[in-house]
Amino acid sequence: MMVNVKRYTLVRNLVFGWITVVLLAGFLLNFPKINILEQTARNLYFHVPMWFSMMAAAFVSGYHSLKVLQTADPLRDIRALQAARIGTFFGLLGLTTGIVWSRFTWYVGTDVWWNFDPRQIMVTIQLLIYGGYFVLRSAFDEPLKRAKISAVFNLFAMTALPFLLYVIPRQMQSLHPGAEGNPAFSQITHPVMRLVFYPAIIGFIGLFWVLYTQRVRVAWLKYRVTQDSEM
Amino acid sequence: MLLMFVMSSLFLIALAIGQDPISEHMKSALLWVVIMFSAAIGLGRSFVAEEERGTVLLLQLNVRGSQVLAGKLVFNFILLLAVDLVGLGMFTFLLSMQVENLPLMLTVLTLGSVGIAGATTLLSAIIARASNKGPLLPVLLFPMLIPLLLSVVRGASQALEGGLGWSGAEIELTTMAAFAGVVLSASFLLFEYVWTD
Repeated sequence: MMVNVKRYTLVRNLVFGWITVVLLAGFLLNFPKINILEQTARNLYFHVPMWFSMMAAAFVSGYHSLKVLQTADPLRDIRALQAARIGTFFGLLGLTTGIVWSRFTWYVGTDVWWNFDPRQIMVTIQLLIYGGYFVLRSAFDEPLKRAKISAVFNLFAMTALPFLLYVIPRQMQSLHPGAEGNPAFSQITHPVMRLVFYPAIIGFIGLFWVLYTQRVRVAWLKYRVTQDSEM
Repeated sequence: MLLMFVMSSLFLIALAIGQDPISEHMKSALLWVVIMFSAAIGLGRSFVAEEERGTVLLLQLNVRGSQVLAGKLVFNFILLLAVDLVGLGMFTFLLSMQVENLPLMLTVLTLGSVGIAGATTLLSAIIARASNKGPLLPVLLFPMLIPLLLSVVRGASQALEGGLGWSGAEIELTTMAAFAGVVLSASFLLFEYVWTD
């Protein structure tokens, strides 16, 4: 694994600077009043990009799982595992921000914490699948067998994705824009908010990339010392 | 053994509910929970048994992987159909459940069972390779079955209510067929990597 250290540091610092600006703008920039949401609309800058990061992580993990089956390369296994871990991290963050947002905005004055929103169900299923993936890895002693079988499970579980993305949202009600009866995203989002929102997506995917590459480098060093993959 | 599990768990549910009337949706949900739990308990052994008896090598040498998978799939599917029928019969008997649209109910049960059998068979092949197995299968199986569960429960409660007839469960039936198709194709594509070293 060869990396141009200078270029890597440059891109990493660029991501850190970018995400700092996005966070500041997210809290400081004023936008016109929106009904119901009011100031909680700022959560859009954080909650939605976390979801994008989780999806990016899921696809990176799935891609490297496919490569594990083709090449049996230990580095590919490390990449699939670390992407899954970062994906779990962003999924937990997105789920928490979503639950808190809905609890104190739409369900204020009720006892509802959990709502049966399709996207919420989807993230929970994804987290359960990754939980199963980590448990499955710990059930193997040989690194190669662990890499291959857990890659098969990762890919097999991804077959549920089209149902989560396209089928369930049509069967259930949702608080998210674009769902049945809700206005589309472009209709309710003010241009000022989009000024922060789109850079925030890029920033969070960049953050995923930095965390992921750092973890892969540490795990690769560990593998070269111990000759055993992480569980 | 599996059928005894189904019967005793259904009896447990019937006693827990007692004589209070429950909604059609609730009955269908309970029925499918029992079916999915019996799949997780009963079908997980299909490949573990081969490992224990040492017949894996014989199969690997003589038969193609896809044929082994197809055999296991068909067996698991038939076993699940038996579970479905026992479950349906016991529910009708114990909870005085009335199925308004029997053909729809049987279609929902059959299509749902194809999906469950597809997911369970490949996962049980995965489990058979693991060194410490424990309750691994439910952990891996249940998250995958949630998309299917939502459809089969709605489909079965439509069949119990009758009313809308076949058109009431149109989306559910298409989802079930799609789930079965996707899971079966993925199983056949991925099975070789689990089966051969």
